[in-house]
Amino acid sequence: MISMNKVSKHYGAFQVLTDCTTQVQKGEVIVVCGPSGSGKSTLIKCVNGLEPFQSGEIIVNGVSVGAPATNLSKLRSTVGMVFQNFELFPHMSIIDNLSIAQLKVLGRNQEQAREKGYKLLDRVGLREQAEKYPGQLSGGQQQRVAIARALAMDPICMLFDEPTSALDPEMVNEVLDVMTELAKEGMTMMCVTHEMGFAKRVASRVIFMDQGRIVEDDSKEAFFEHARSERAQQFLAKILHH
Amino acid sequence: MHDFDWSSIPNALPFLWDGMKISLEITLSAVVFGIVWGTLLALMRLSSVTPLSWFAAGYVNLFRAVPLVMVLLWFFLIVPHLLESIFGFPRGSDMRLSSAIAGFALFEAAYYSEIIRAGIQSVPKGQMAAASALGMTYGQAMRLVVLPQAFRNMVPLLLTQGIILFQDTSLVYVSALADFFGAAYKVGDRDGRLVELLLFAGAVYFVICFTASRIVRYYQNKLKTA
Repeated sequence: MISMNKVSKHYGAFQVLTDCTTQVQKGEVIVVCGPSGSGKSTLIKCVNGLEPFQSGEIIVNGVSVGAPATNLSKLRSTVGMVFQNFELFPHMSIIDNLSIAQLKVLGRNQEQAREKGYKLLDRVGLREQAEKYPGQLSGGQQQRVAIARALAMDPICMLFDEPTSALDPEMVNEVLDVMTELAKEGMTMMCVTHEMGFAKRVASRVIFMDQGRIVEDDSKEAFFEHARSERAQQFLAKILHH
Repeated sequence: MHDFDWSSIPNALPFLWDGMKISLEITLSAVVFGIVWGTLLALMRLSSVTPLSWFAAGYVNLFRAVPLVMVLLWFFLIVPHLLESIFGFPRGSDMRLSSAIAGFALFEAAYYSEIIRAGIQSVPKGQMAAASALGMTYGQAMRLVVLPQAFRNMVPLLLTQGIILFQDTSLVYVSALADFFGAAYKVGDRDGRLVELLLFAGAVYFVICFTASRIVRYYQNKLKTA
Protein backbone atom coordinates (compact mmCIF):
# COMPACT_ATOMS: atom_id res chain seq x y z
CA MET A 1 0.00 0.00 0.00
CA ILE A 2 2.75 2.47 1.01
CA SER A 3 6.35 1.91 0.14
CA MET A 4 9.21 4.25 1.01
CA ASN A 5 12.65 3.84 -0.37
CA LYS A 6 15.62 5.85 0.91
CA VAL A 7 13.61 9.03 1.44
CA SER A 8 15.77 12.02 2.40
CA LYS A 9 14.89 15.62 3.01
CA HIS A 10 16.78 18.67 4.12
CA TYR A 11 16.01 22.33 4.80
CA GLY A 12 19.16 24.03 3.59
CA ALA A 13 22.00 22.40 5.46
CA PHE A 14 19.69 20.83 8.05
CA GLN A 15 19.02 17.17 7.38
CA VAL A 16 15.47 16.30 8.46
CA LEU A 17 15.14 12.81 7.02
CA THR A 18 17.93 10.44 6.05
CA ASP A 19 17.41 7.31 3.95
CA CYS A 20 14.05 6.34 5.40
CA THR A 21 12.90 3.00 4.06
CA THR A 22 9.80 1.05 5.07
CA GLN A 23 6.71 -0.69 3.76
CA VAL A 24 3.12 -0.58 4.93
CA GLN A 25 0.88 -3.45 3.85
CA LYS A 26 -2.85 -3.20 3.42
CA GLY A 27 -4.61 -3.42 6.79
CA GLU A 28 -1.50 -2.74 8.84
CA VAL A 29 -1.43 -0.22 11.65
CA ILE A 30 1.97 1.40 11.98
CA VAL A 31 2.80 3.54 14.99
CA VAL A 32 5.62 5.99 14.40
CA CYS A 33 7.27 7.28 17.55
CA GLY A 34 10.43 8.98 18.65
CA PRO A 35 11.68 12.06 20.47
CA SER A 36 10.48 15.44 19.27
CA GLY A 37 12.41 16.73 16.30
CA SER A 38 13.15 13.20 15.13
CA GLY A 39 11.33 13.78 11.83
CA LYS A 40 8.29 11.56 12.41
CA SER A 41 5.70 14.20 11.49
CA THR A 42 7.73 15.19 8.46
CA LEU A 43 7.90 11.56 7.41
CA ILE A 44 4.15 11.00 7.33
CA LYS A 45 3.56 14.36 5.66
CA CYS A 46 5.82 13.16 2.87
CA VAL A 47 3.46 10.24 2.27
CA ASN A 48 0.74 12.50 0.82
CA GLY A 49 3.17 15.06 -0.54
CA LEU A 50 2.37 17.82 1.97
CA GLU A 51 6.12 17.94 2.57
CA PRO A 52 8.32 17.68 -0.49
CA PHE A 53 11.46 15.55 -0.26
CA GLN A 54 14.67 15.77 -2.24
CA SER A 55 15.64 12.19 -2.85
CA GLY A 56 14.27 8.69 -2.61
CA GLU A 57 10.86 7.42 -3.60
CA ILE A 58 7.44 6.99 -2.02
CA ILE A 59 4.85 4.86 -3.77
CA VAL A 60 1.26 5.02 -2.53
CA ASN A 61 -1.10 2.52 -4.09
CA GLY A 62 1.09 2.34 -7.19
CA VAL A 63 1.51 6.11 -7.58
CA SER A 64 4.87 7.80 -7.07
CA VAL A 65 4.38 10.78 -4.74
CA GLY A 66 7.50 12.69 -5.76
CA ALA A 67 7.13 12.27 -9.53
CA PRO A 68 6.49 15.60 -11.30
CA ALA A 69 3.71 14.09 -13.42
CA THR A 70 1.73 12.92 -10.40
CA ASN A 71 -1.55 14.66 -9.74
CA LEU A 72 -1.00 15.28 -6.03
CA SER A 73 -4.52 16.56 -5.37
CA LYS A 74 -5.96 13.37 -6.76
CA LEU A 75 -3.58 11.25 -4.73
CA ARG A 76 -4.36 13.17 -1.54
CA SER A 77 -8.08 12.71 -2.02
CA THR A 78 -7.47 8.97 -1.53
CA VAL A 79 -5.29 9.36 1.58
CA GLY A 80 -6.97 10.60 4.75
CA MET A 81 -5.03 12.79 7.12
CA VAL A 82 -5.70 13.92 10.68
CA PHE A 83 -3.70 16.78 12.17
CA GLN A 84 -2.50 17.61 15.64
CA ASN A 85 -4.61 20.81 15.74
CA PHE A 86 -7.70 19.28 14.07
CA GLU A 87 -7.75 21.99 11.37
CA LEU A 88 -11.49 21.94 10.95
CA PHE A 89 -12.69 24.85 8.83
CA PRO A 90 -13.98 27.31 11.46
CA HIS A 91 -16.27 29.21 9.06
CA MET A 92 -18.29 26.13 8.17
CA SER A 93 -20.75 24.05 10.18
CA ILE A 94 -19.69 20.53 11.13
CA ILE A 95 -21.77 18.93 8.38
CA ASP A 96 -20.34 21.38 5.82
CA ASN A 97 -16.85 20.48 7.01
CA LEU A 98 -17.68 16.89 6.15
CA SER A 99 -19.35 17.68 2.83
CA ILE A 100 -17.19 20.33 1.21
CA ALA A 101 -14.44 18.11 -0.19
CA GLN A 102 -16.94 15.43 -1.19
CA LEU A 103 -18.75 18.06 -3.25
CA LYS A 104 -15.78 19.89 -4.72
CA VAL A 105 -13.22 17.12 -5.04
CA LEU A 106 -15.21 13.91 -5.53
CA GLY A 107 -18.09 15.58 -7.36
CA ARG A 108 -20.78 13.99 -5.18
CA ASN A 109 -24.08 15.82 -4.99
CA GLN A 110 -25.33 17.64 -1.91
CA GLU A 111 -27.64 14.81 -0.89
CA GLN A 112 -25.02 12.06 -1.16
CA ALA A 113 -22.44 14.17 0.64
CA ARG A 114 -24.73 15.00 3.54
CA GLU A 115 -25.95 11.45 3.89
CA LYS A 116 -22.37 10.23 4.05
CA GLY A 117 -21.52 13.02 6.48
CA TYR A 118 -24.38 12.18 8.84
CA LYS A 119 -23.50 8.49 8.72
CA LEU A 120 -19.92 9.22 9.77
CA LEU A 121 -21.00 11.65 12.47
CA ASP A 122 -23.17 8.86 13.82
CA ARG A 123 -20.19 6.61 13.84
CA VAL A 124 -18.05 9.02 15.88
CA GLY A 125 -21.06 9.75 18.11
CA LEU A 126 -21.55 13.39 17.11
CA ARG A 127 -24.69 13.36 15.00
CA GLU A 128 -26.39 15.97 17.23
CA GLN A 129 -23.55 18.43 16.64
CA ALA A 130 -23.97 18.49 12.84
CA GLU A 131 -25.27 22.05 12.61
CA LYS A 132 -22.83 23.54 15.12
CA TYR A 133 -19.54 25.24 14.33
CA PRO A 134 -16.11 23.83 15.23
CA GLY A 135 -15.54 26.52 17.87
CA GLN A 136 -18.53 25.24 19.83
CA LEU A 137 -17.06 21.74 20.22
CA SER A 138 -14.49 20.42 22.68
CA GLY A 139 -11.05 19.43 21.39
CA GLY A 140 -11.87 15.74 21.54
CA GLN A 141 -15.10 16.27 19.62
CA GLN A 142 -13.31 18.37 17.02
CA GLN A 143 -10.72 15.68 16.48
CA ARG A 144 -13.44 13.06 16.06
CA VAL A 145 -15.07 15.31 13.47
CA ALA A 146 -11.70 15.66 11.74
CA ILE A 147 -11.42 11.87 11.55
CA ALA A 148 -14.95 11.66 10.16
CA ARG A 149 -14.11 14.36 7.62
CA ALA A 150 -11.15 12.34 6.38
CA LEU A 151 -13.23 9.14 6.25
CA ALA A 152 -15.92 10.88 4.21
CA MET A 153 -13.53 10.75 1.25
CA ASP A 154 -13.44 6.92 1.43
CA PRO A 155 -9.67 6.88 1.81
CA ILE A 156 -7.59 3.80 1.11
CA CYS A 157 -5.38 4.59 4.10
CA MET A 158 -5.21 7.10 6.96
CA LEU A 159 -2.35 9.20 8.28
CA PHE A 160 -2.48 10.53 11.84
CA ASP A 161 -0.08 13.27 12.89
CA GLU A 162 -0.05 13.32 16.71
CA PRO A 163 -3.85 13.28 16.85
CA THR A 164 -4.02 13.44 20.65
CA SER A 165 -1.13 15.71 21.62
CA ALA A 166 -3.20 18.90 21.59
CA LEU A 167 -5.96 17.39 23.72
CA ASP A 168 -6.69 17.64 27.41
CA PRO A 169 -5.94 14.27 29.02
CA GLU A 170 -9.58 13.39 29.62
CA MET A 171 -10.32 13.68 25.91
CA VAL A 172 -7.52 11.49 24.65
CA ASN A 173 -9.43 8.26 25.01
CA GLU A 174 -12.50 9.23 23.03
CA VAL A 175 -10.20 9.89 20.05
CA LEU A 176 -8.12 6.75 20.57
CA ASP A 177 -11.33 4.71 20.77
CA VAL A 178 -12.38 5.93 17.34
CA MET A 179 -8.93 5.10 15.99
CA THR A 180 -8.98 1.65 17.58
CA GLU A 181 -12.38 0.98 16.07
CA LEU A 182 -11.04 2.02 12.68
CA ALA A 183 -8.04 -0.26 13.00
CA LYS A 184 -10.28 -3.20 13.88
CA GLU A 185 -12.23 -2.63 10.69
CA GLY A 186 -9.03 -3.17 8.75
CA MET A 187 -8.12 0.40 7.82
CA THR A 188 -4.49 0.84 6.84
CA MET A 189 -3.06 3.43 9.23
CA MET A 190 0.15 5.28 9.91
CA CYS A 191 0.02 7.06 13.27
CA VAL A 192 2.57 9.40 14.74
CA THR A 193 1.78 9.24 18.43
CA HIS A 194 3.24 9.06 21.90
CA GLU A 195 0.35 6.93 23.12
CA MET A 196 2.25 3.75 23.84
CA GLY A 197 -0.85 2.10 25.29
CA PHE A 198 -2.52 2.53 21.90
CA ALA A 199 0.58 1.16 20.19
CA LYS A 200 0.59 -1.92 22.42
CA ARG A 201 -3.08 -2.61 21.85
CA VAL A 202 -3.50 -1.78 18.21
CA ALA A 203 -0.24 -1.50 16.28
CA SER A 204 0.95 -4.19 13.95
CA ARG A 205 4.38 -2.61 13.80
CA VAL A 206 6.26 0.17 15.51
CA ILE A 207 8.71 2.48 13.78
CA PHE A 208 11.10 4.36 16.06
CA MET A 209 12.82 7.42 14.64
CA ASP A 210 15.75 9.43 15.89
CA GLN A 211 17.50 12.34 14.20
CA GLY A 212 15.73 11.78 10.91
CA ARG A 213 16.51 8.09 10.65
CA ILE A 214 14.32 5.06 11.08
CA VAL A 215 16.18 3.35 13.91
CA GLU A 216 13.75 0.54 14.64
CA ASP A 217 11.07 -0.98 12.45
CA ASP A 218 9.72 -4.06 14.12
CA SER A 219 6.67 -5.89 15.41
CA LYS A 220 5.29 -4.25 18.53
CA GLU A 221 6.22 -7.26 20.64
CA ALA A 222 9.82 -7.07 19.55
CA PHE A 223 9.88 -3.30 20.01
CA PHE A 224 8.42 -3.16 23.49
CA GLU A 225 10.15 -6.24 24.84
CA HIS A 226 13.60 -5.86 23.48
CA ALA A 227 14.24 -2.71 21.54
CA ARG A 228 17.68 -3.08 20.00
CA SER A 229 18.98 0.47 19.96
CA GLU A 230 20.05 2.24 23.09
CA ARG A 231 18.15 5.34 21.94
CA ALA A 232 14.87 3.45 21.77
CA GLN A 233 15.46 1.86 25.15
CA GLN A 234 16.01 5.28 26.70
CA PHE A 235 12.93 6.64 24.97
CA LEU A 236 10.78 3.80 26.21
CA ALA A 237 12.16 4.04 29.72
CA LYS A 238 11.21 7.70 29.82
CA ILE A 239 7.83 7.48 28.22
CA LEU A 240 6.60 4.34 30.01
CA HIS A 241 7.73 5.66 33.34
CA HIS A 242 4.69 7.80 33.82
CA MET B 1 -14.87 88.89 12.80
CA HIS B 2 -16.45 87.05 9.91
CA ASP B 3 -20.18 87.59 9.40
CA PHE B 4 -21.65 84.15 8.81
CA ASP B 5 -24.38 83.88 6.23
CA TRP B 6 -25.67 80.37 5.60
CA SER B 7 -28.47 81.37 3.28
CA SER B 8 -26.84 80.09 0.12
CA ILE B 9 -26.78 76.50 1.40
CA PRO B 10 -30.50 75.53 1.25
CA ASN B 11 -30.81 76.47 -2.41
CA ALA B 12 -27.59 74.68 -3.25
CA LEU B 13 -28.63 71.39 -1.63
CA PRO B 14 -29.73 69.63 -4.84
CA PHE B 15 -26.43 70.55 -6.48
CA LEU B 16 -24.50 69.42 -3.41
CA TRP B 17 -26.43 66.14 -3.39
CA ASP B 18 -25.43 65.54 -7.01
CA GLY B 19 -21.86 66.07 -5.89
CA MET B 20 -22.31 63.61 -3.03
CA LYS B 21 -23.59 61.02 -5.47
CA ILE B 22 -20.40 61.41 -7.51
CA SER B 23 -18.26 61.08 -4.38
CA LEU B 24 -20.12 57.93 -3.37
CA GLU B 25 -19.97 56.51 -6.87
CA ILE B 26 -16.21 56.96 -6.99
CA THR B 27 -15.80 55.50 -3.50
CA LEU B 28 -17.93 52.42 -4.11
CA SER B 29 -16.48 51.64 -7.52
CA ALA B 30 -12.93 52.11 -6.27
CA VAL B 31 -13.57 49.94 -3.20
CA VAL B 32 -15.04 47.12 -5.29
CA PHE B 33 -12.43 47.21 -8.05
CA GLY B 34 -9.68 47.90 -5.54
CA ILE B 35 -10.56 44.83 -3.46
CA VAL B 36 -10.85 42.55 -6.49
CA TRP B 37 -7.60 43.75 -8.05
CA GLY B 38 -5.97 43.94 -4.61
CA THR B 39 -6.89 40.29 -3.94
CA LEU B 40 -5.31 39.26 -7.23
CA LEU B 41 -2.20 41.28 -6.41
CA ALA B 42 -2.00 39.69 -2.95
CA LEU B 43 -2.28 36.20 -4.45
CA MET B 44 0.42 37.08 -6.99
CA ARG B 45 2.64 38.45 -4.26
CA LEU B 46 2.30 35.24 -2.25
CA SER B 47 2.68 33.04 -5.32
CA SER B 48 5.74 30.88 -5.76
CA VAL B 49 5.93 31.96 -9.41
CA THR B 50 8.70 34.54 -9.19
CA PRO B 51 7.71 36.87 -12.06
CA LEU B 52 4.20 37.20 -10.63
CA SER B 53 5.37 38.01 -7.13
CA TRP B 54 7.91 40.50 -8.49
CA PHE B 55 5.29 42.20 -10.59
CA ALA B 56 2.95 42.51 -7.61
CA ALA B 57 5.71 43.73 -5.31
CA GLY B 58 6.79 46.32 -7.89
CA TYR B 59 3.23 47.49 -8.42
CA VAL B 60 2.51 47.86 -4.72
CA ASN B 61 5.77 49.62 -3.98
CA LEU B 62 5.34 52.02 -6.90
CA PHE B 63 1.82 53.10 -5.98
CA ARG B 64 2.60 53.36 -2.30
CA ALA B 65 5.56 55.59 -3.00
CA VAL B 66 3.81 58.28 -5.05
CA PRO B 67 1.23 60.82 -3.89
CA LEU B 68 -2.39 60.00 -4.70
CA VAL B 69 -3.02 63.41 -6.21
CA MET B 70 -0.26 62.77 -8.72
CA VAL B 71 -1.71 59.44 -9.77
CA LEU B 72 -5.05 61.18 -10.28
CA LEU B 73 -3.45 63.82 -12.44
CA TRP B 74 -1.72 61.19 -14.55
CA PHE B 75 -5.07 59.62 -15.16
CA PHE B 76 -6.80 62.91 -15.98
CA LEU B 77 -4.08 64.04 -18.33
CA ILE B 78 -2.70 60.91 -19.92
CA VAL B 79 -5.36 58.21 -19.99
CA PRO B 80 -7.99 60.16 -22.00
CA HIS B 81 -5.33 60.88 -24.62
CA LEU B 82 -4.37 57.22 -24.75
CA LEU B 83 -7.98 56.15 -25.17
CA GLU B 84 -8.51 58.74 -27.87
CA SER B 85 -5.52 57.59 -29.85
CA ILE B 86 -5.93 53.85 -29.30
CA PHE B 87 -9.67 53.31 -29.37
CA GLY B 88 -10.63 56.40 -31.37
CA PHE B 89 -12.75 57.92 -28.60
CA PRO B 90 -14.19 61.22 -29.75
CA ARG B 91 -11.90 64.05 -28.85
CA GLY B 92 -12.81 66.06 -25.80
CA SER B 93 -15.34 63.53 -24.44
CA ASP B 94 -15.69 63.87 -20.68
CA MET B 95 -13.69 61.08 -19.18
CA ARG B 96 -13.06 62.73 -15.86
CA LEU B 97 -15.32 60.46 -13.83
CA SER B 98 -14.03 57.22 -15.37
CA SER B 99 -10.46 58.46 -15.08
CA ALA B 100 -11.03 59.28 -11.44
CA ILE B 101 -12.52 55.86 -10.73
CA ALA B 102 -9.70 54.10 -12.58
CA GLY B 103 -7.06 56.14 -10.80
CA PHE B 104 -8.52 55.53 -7.35
CA ALA B 105 -9.10 51.82 -8.01
CA LEU B 106 -5.55 51.18 -9.19
CA PHE B 107 -4.08 53.26 -6.38
CA GLU B 108 -6.22 51.77 -3.63
CA ALA B 109 -5.59 48.23 -4.92
CA ALA B 110 -1.99 48.65 -3.78
CA TYR B 111 -3.16 49.37 -0.23
CA TYR B 112 -5.89 46.74 -0.29
CA SER B 113 -3.44 44.12 -1.49
CA GLU B 114 -1.25 44.69 1.56
CA ILE B 115 -4.24 44.37 3.89
CA ILE B 116 -5.39 41.24 2.09
CA ARG B 117 -1.91 39.73 2.05
CA ALA B 118 -1.67 40.18 5.82
CA GLY B 119 -5.17 38.68 6.13
CA ILE B 120 -4.23 35.61 4.12
CA GLN B 121 -1.09 35.16 6.18
CA SER B 122 -3.09 35.43 9.38
CA VAL B 123 -4.97 32.24 8.52
CA PRO B 124 -3.07 29.34 10.14
CA LYS B 125 -0.95 27.37 7.68
CA GLY B 126 -2.63 24.17 8.82
CA GLN B 127 -5.85 25.26 7.11
CA MET B 128 -4.21 25.17 3.70
CA ALA B 129 -2.57 21.85 4.61
CA ALA B 130 -5.90 20.36 5.72
CA ALA B 131 -7.68 21.54 2.57
CA SER B 132 -4.87 20.16 0.41
CA ALA B 133 -4.90 16.88 2.32
CA LEU B 134 -8.57 16.51 1.38
CA GLY B 135 -7.59 16.68 -2.27
CA MET B 136 -8.47 20.31 -2.95
CA THR B 137 -6.35 22.11 -5.52
CA TYR B 138 -4.51 25.28 -4.48
CA GLY B 139 -7.24 27.38 -6.08
CA GLN B 140 -10.06 25.53 -4.32
CA ALA B 141 -8.29 25.67 -0.97
CA MET B 142 -7.76 29.43 -1.36
CA ARG B 143 -11.28 30.15 -2.53
CA LEU B 144 -13.20 27.85 -0.18
CA VAL B 145 -11.07 27.77 2.94
CA VAL B 146 -8.40 30.47 3.24
CA LEU B 147 -9.94 33.58 1.64
CA PRO B 148 -13.31 33.40 3.44
CA GLN B 149 -11.51 33.32 6.79
CA ALA B 150 -9.05 36.00 5.73
CA PHE B 151 -11.84 38.35 4.61
CA ARG B 152 -13.81 37.82 7.78
CA ASN B 153 -10.83 39.00 9.81
CA MET B 154 -10.15 41.85 7.42
CA VAL B 155 -13.59 43.42 7.10
CA PRO B 156 -12.89 46.20 9.66
CA LEU B 157 -9.59 47.14 7.99
CA LEU B 158 -11.12 47.08 4.53
CA LEU B 159 -13.97 49.31 5.66
CA THR B 160 -11.60 51.71 7.40
CA GLN B 161 -9.60 51.96 4.18
CA GLY B 162 -12.90 52.66 2.42
CA ILE B 163 -13.58 55.56 4.79
CA ILE B 164 -10.17 57.03 4.07
CA LEU B 165 -10.86 56.58 0.38
CA PHE B 166 -14.15 58.46 0.73
CA GLN B 167 -12.29 61.41 2.22
CA ASP B 168 -9.63 61.22 -0.46
CA THR B 169 -12.20 61.46 -3.25
CA SER B 170 -12.22 65.19 -2.53
CA LEU B 171 -8.89 65.26 -4.37
CA VAL B 172 -10.73 64.99 -7.68
CA TYR B 173 -11.20 68.75 -7.42
CA VAL B 174 -7.87 68.93 -9.30
CA SER B 175 -9.84 67.92 -12.39
CA ALA B 176 -12.68 70.35 -11.65
CA LEU B 177 -15.01 67.35 -11.30
CA ALA B 178 -17.98 68.38 -9.19
CA ASP B 179 -17.87 65.80 -6.42
CA PHE B 180 -19.29 66.84 -3.05
CA PHE B 181 -16.26 68.88 -2.10
CA GLY B 182 -15.98 70.37 -5.59
CA ALA B 183 -19.67 71.27 -5.59
CA ALA B 184 -19.41 72.97 -2.21
CA TYR B 185 -16.38 74.88 -3.38
CA LYS B 186 -18.15 76.02 -6.54
CA VAL B 187 -21.22 77.24 -4.69
CA GLY B 188 -19.13 79.07 -2.11
CA ASP B 189 -17.00 80.66 -4.78
CA ARG B 190 -20.04 81.77 -6.77
CA ASP B 191 -21.84 83.31 -3.77
CA GLY B 192 -18.76 84.64 -2.07
CA ARG B 193 -19.53 82.34 0.88
CA LEU B 194 -16.56 79.98 0.69
CA VAL B 195 -15.96 79.78 4.45
CA GLU B 196 -19.55 78.77 5.21
CA LEU B 197 -19.66 76.19 2.43
CA LEU B 198 -16.36 74.64 3.40
CA LEU B 199 -17.41 74.48 7.06
CA PHE B 200 -20.66 72.85 6.00
CA ALA B 201 -18.84 70.37 3.74
CA GLY B 202 -16.42 69.57 6.55
CA ALA B 203 -19.30 68.89 8.93
CA VAL B 204 -20.93 66.57 6.41
CA TYR B 205 -17.68 64.63 5.84
CA PHE B 206 -17.22 64.40 9.60
CA VAL B 207 -20.70 63.07 10.29
CA ILE B 208 -20.49 60.46 7.54
CA CYS B 209 -16.98 59.26 8.36
CA PHE B 210 -17.47 59.31 12.11
CA THR B 211 -20.70 57.32 11.86
CA ALA B 212 -19.08 54.85 9.49
CA SER B 213 -16.08 54.32 11.73
CA ARG B 214 -18.39 53.78 14.72
CA ILE B 215 -20.15 51.07 12.74
CA VAL B 216 -16.78 49.52 11.90
CA ARG B 217 -15.82 49.51 15.55
CA TYR B 218 -19.12 47.92 16.53
CA TYR B 219 -18.51 45.18 13.96
CA GLN B 220 -14.95 44.76 15.19
CA ASN B 221 -16.11 44.20 18.75
CA LYS B 222 -18.66 41.72 17.55
CA LEU B 223 -15.94 39.82 15.68
CA LYS B 224 -13.80 39.75 18.80
CA THR B 225 -16.50 38.25 20.95
CA ALA B 226 -17.68 35.78 18.30
